[in-house]
Amino acid sequence: MNCEQAQQLFDAYLDGELSPALTTELGAHRLQCPDCRRALALLEVTGHVLSTDREPDELPVGFTDRLLACVDEPRKGWSHRLPQRLIYVGVPVAAAAMVALAFLGFFDRPSGEAAGEKAMAPPSAQLLQGITKGNVASSENALRIDETPVNEQLLAEWLERTREHIAAQEQAGESLQKMMDMTILQLLDVLQQAQESRGPLRAPGEKDAVTAPPPAKVSTQDVEDL
Amino acid sequence: MSSEPTISIKERERALIDRARAGDRSASRELVDQHKDRLYAFIRRMVHHHHDAEEVCQEAFLKAFASLDSFSTEFRFSTWLFTIAYRVSLNHLRRKKALTGDMDFTSLRYTSGDSFFTAAESEEAGRLRDLIWSAVDQLSPPQRATLVLFYRHEFGCHEISRIMNLPVATVKSHLHRGRNRLGELLARVPDGQLQAFRNRSGLAG
Repeated sequence: MNCEQAQQLFDAYLDGELSPALTTELGAHRLQCPDCRRALALLEVTGHVLSTDREPDELPVGFTDRLLACVDEPRKGWSHRLPQRLIYVGVPVAAAAMVALAFLGFFDRPSGEAAGEKAMAPPSAQLLQGITKGNVASSENALRIDETPVNEQLLAEWLERTREHIAAQEQAGESLQKMMDMTILQLLDVLQQAQESRGPLRAPGEKDAVTAPPPAKVSTQDVEDL
Repeated sequence: MSSEPTISIKERERALIDRARAGDRSASRELVDQHKDRLYAFIRRMVHHHHDAEEVCQEAFLKAFASLDSFSTEFRFSTWLFTIAYRVSLNHLRRKKALTGDMDFTSLRYTSGDSFFTAAESEEAGRLRDLIWSAVDQLSPPQRATLVLFYRHEFGCHEISRIMNLPVATVKSHLHRGRNRLGELLARVPDGQLQAFRNRSGLAG
């Protein structure tokens, strides 16, 4: 038996799968060959250490109690991994919340009495439909249904508000697009800022949004041109 | 290498699992206490860091309990647990690699020649043990898992193939390559140190 043949038997020998005859042959070669003797000795010592050594660290006391508590209440097991969970779960949830708030008109609310503006309810769907078609009569009918006296000045203000409403929705859409590129921490900061000020939402680095001009006086002719 | 569990042990394990499935908390506790140290030792060797190992160990147990109904009592519970633990460990290593770009950070140890060989020349058996474990830590995860499952946890190649979801031939290949790699990494350990260790450990025939 030469060294190459002997080395091919090492694994079977170490695994206890070598026949007695081949084991004897390998033993004979081992006595004669210092290289194979050393290689086998190293593998035997390594196997012995791996088999018998105790691990340097043990599980902390209370592991079983904590584990069983997590089995009962799986959410408890998440607490120590909160940052990762926040990223995985928080981003989609925050984005969904932003979209929902935008559709509810949260971000384009008037900034309050300080601006000297009065909040005004958006026109009814029926009124908007009539205005879109340029049908002033429809608007008048809607006003009558609401038992509101026909008032051209009021109608003009509503039209102006409609324009502002559309412009604000477009602005909110742009802000949402910017938020999609923001990190979760930036997003949370902006959300907090928006909640505190109840002002228009702005992405970090975004210049102050152009304030919508005050409602201009519109004539009846302007309304008809719509 | 592994011995088949006796009928009484298997029956007892099956009864424990049935009770745990039925929501018996004391049975769940007994299952955890029976296997946690072996499982943690394996995971610790796979993921290196003991805090990570504890988290992976917890996750493995939670996954096991969550899918306890799907466990087939045809197999040993420990084989099933190690199967889950191996997969959770690999996922952990992949996440870690994705985050740090450097999974095998243990290779930083004992790679600068002087410290390695100076330590190897020491006659203390404890130092040799440290060197061997450091060399094991430098193996690829599948090679490391195969060697640790085979030697430390006394699983046979068939059980390891089940745990690692690999053909038996591939397991044997990992075992072979792992041993060869260890031989290379420990090539400079002096003969005298090896012989002394063999004599002390009763390996010399």
